Amino acid sequence: MTNPALVVGAVAYTANVVPIWEGIRDFFRGSPQEMDFVLFSNYGRQVDALINGHIDIAWNTNLAYVRTVLQTEGRCQALAMRDTDTVFSTVFVAQAGSGLSGPDSLKGTRLALGSADSAQAAILPLHYLAKAGIRADQLEVTRFNSDIGKHGDTGRSELDAIEAVLASEADVAAIGITTWEAIGRDELMPGALEEVWRTETYSHCMFTALDSLPAQRYQPWVDKLLSMDWDTPADRRILELEGLKQWVEPHLDGYAGLFEAVREQGVDPRW
Amino acid sequence: MVILELVRAVGGLADGGTVEVSLRDPGDEEIARRWADRTGNSIVRVLTADPGSTPGTDSGSVVIRRGRVPDPALTLGADRLPGARLWLYTNFHCNLACDYCCVASSPRSPHKELGSDRIARIVAEAAAWGVGEVYLTGGEPFLLPDISTIVHHCVALLPTTLLTNGMLFRGPGLRSLRSMPRTDFALQISLDSATPDVHDAHRGAGSWARAVAGIKVAIAEGFRVRVAATISSPAPEALSELRGFLDDLAIPRTDQVIRPVAQEGLAESGVQLSRETLVPEITVTADGIFWHPVAALDENALVTRQIEPLGPALDEVNRLFAEQWAAAGAAAALFPCA
Repeated sequence: MTNPALVVGAVAYTANVVPIWEGIRDFFRGSPQEMDFVLFSNYGRQVDALINGHIDIAWNTNLAYVRTVLQTEGRCQALAMRDTDTVFSTVFVAQAGSGLSGPDSLKGTRLALGSADSAQAAILPLHYLAKAGIRADQLEVTRFNSDIGKHGDTGRSELDAIEAVLASEADVAAIGITTWEAIGRDELMPGALEEVWRTETYSHCMFTALDSLPAQRYQPWVDKLLSMDWDTPADRRILELEGLKQWVEPHLDGYAGLFEAVREQGVDPRW
Repeated sequence: MVILELVRAVGGLADGGTVEVSLRDPGDEEIARRWADRTGNSIVRVLTADPGSTPGTDSGSVVIRRGRVPDPALTLGADRLPGARLWLYTNFHCNLACDYCCVASSPRSPHKELGSDRIARIVAEAAAWGVGEVYLTGGEPFLLPDISTIVHHCVALLPTTLLTNGMLFRGPGLRSLRSMPRTDFALQISLDSATPDVHDAHRGAGSWARAVAGIKVAIAEGFRVRVAATISSPAPEALSELRGFLDDLAIPRTDQVIRPVAQEGLAESGVQLSRETLVPEITVTADGIFWHPVAALDENALVTRQIEPLGPALDEVNRLFAEQWAAAGAAAALFPCA
C-alpha cells in the first residue's frame, strides 16, 4: 500500500513554474511516495500554508527557509536542495572601466539593490558589505522593489538595478550569481559591465517540511528526488528547467549569514 | 541593452513559449544568438528592419523560444518527418461520393490525373531526395486502367501503399490487382464500421458489403491489407466492435488505422486543420504540391503550382517545417491519413 501523495508548495514566479512542477510530479508517479503540487503567489502565503499544515513540503527560498525556522522555533526540517543552491553568491557589477574593485572601493558609491525581500539582491549584499567593513550609511542605496513577495525569484528587480547602472543612475548593482550568468556575465557584451566584487558563497533554495512529517513519508520522496539523473533525457528536461544538474542533501552551513542578516536588519517576519 | 530585454522577455515565458524582442543596433542580432546559445534558448526567427530605418532605433527583431527545440525525430518518429512520405493523388474521380471526402471526389469530379510517366519521374526524384515511402490515393485509383503500371513504377523504387475503397476488384480491376507486386506493397482499404449502417450512410448503400468483399479478395490474393476507418466521433463500443471485426478478418492491429473526419472538401464538420498545426506530408496532385493529403484542395496548404522538379518543394517544406517546429514545437500534430 502506497502513502498518500505528499503535497508540495511552490511559488509561481513565472509561467515556467507550471511545466517544471508537472514534470516533477510526473517523475514521482508510480514511485513509493507520489506527490502533487500547489502554487502560491508569494512566499509569505506558502510558509503560512506549511505551518498551518495545508502543504507537506515547501520549496522555499533561503529567506523563506529562514522564516520557517524562526517562526517554528526550529521545529522544521530541511530535506533537499539543488546543487546550484549550495554555491550561490551575490555579485556587485558596475559599468566597465569603473575603476572599482573590492568592497573598500564601494564606500561612498550609489548602490542599486533589488527587491527588499530578495536575499541575494538586498539583504545579503548589505550583510556581506558590513562584514567587509562597509556600513549601509556609507552608501547611497536605491532599492528596486519590483517583485516583492517572490524573494527576487523573477530577477526583475535585479535587471532594474543593472539598468540603473547602465543609465549612470547608480554606480554599482548587487545581483544574484544566476542573474549575472543569465546576462552572460561580462562576456557577451564586453565593455558594458564588469564584476567588481562578489560575496562568499551561501545556500539558496531548500525543500522544507515541519518536523511532524514522518521520515517514512519524506524519506522515500527524498531518495527518489536525489536519484533524478542528468543522463536520463526525461529527468534532464526537469533538471534543466529548474536550473540544476543534481539534487543534493541540505547544506545548512550556508544559511548562517542570512540568519545573522535577518536579525541585524530586522527583516519583516511576514516576508 | 538587448540582453536585459531578452532576459526579461524570456523569463516570463513557460518552456516552449515564444516572444519577439526588438533589436536596436546592428550587432544585437549576433548578441541575441550568442545569448540564446549560452542560456539554452532558441532563436526561432529573425525579422530584418526596413532598409531605411535608423540604427539605434530599429534593427529588426528576433523571435525567441524559451528552451531548446525538441528533436522532431524523437517526438514524431523518424518515419513521420517531412519528406519521409510522399503522397500522390493519381486522380480525383471516384465511383463513390462520400459525404466527408476531404477532396470532394465523386463520379462527376474532373479526373485531374497525374499520369503514369509523370509519376515515374516524380517517384525517381523523390527516392533520390531521400523520401522513404509512397502513398497513392485519389479519387479511386482503380478507375485508372494503368494503375498497375503506376504501382510497379513506384514499388521499383520505394515501398508503396495504395489507398482504395476496395469495390472494384472484378473484371479489369481484378486483373490490375492480380498483376500488382506482393512485396514492398500494401493496399489500404476504407471501412468505417463493423456493420453496414454507418459505412453505407456516408458512402452509399451496398458499399460496405462490397468493401468487405474487396478486403477478403485482396487478402486471398496474398496482399498486405491495411484497413482505414474514417469516424467523426467514435463511441468506444463502436470502435471496439470495428476492431473485433477487423481482428476476425486477420488484419493486424498495427494495420488498423482509425482517423477522424477532417473539415476539408465535402465535410461540413470535423477536425479543423491548418498548415500551422499539421506536420507536413508532401502531397502531389495534378494541380500542384500541397502540405498534406488531407488538404489537397486547400489553397492555404498549397506549396507550389510547379510539380516538377519535386526537390525544391521538398526542400521548401522541410525549411518551413523546421521554422514552424521551432516556433510551436510539439504543437504541430500528425493527422493519420495512413
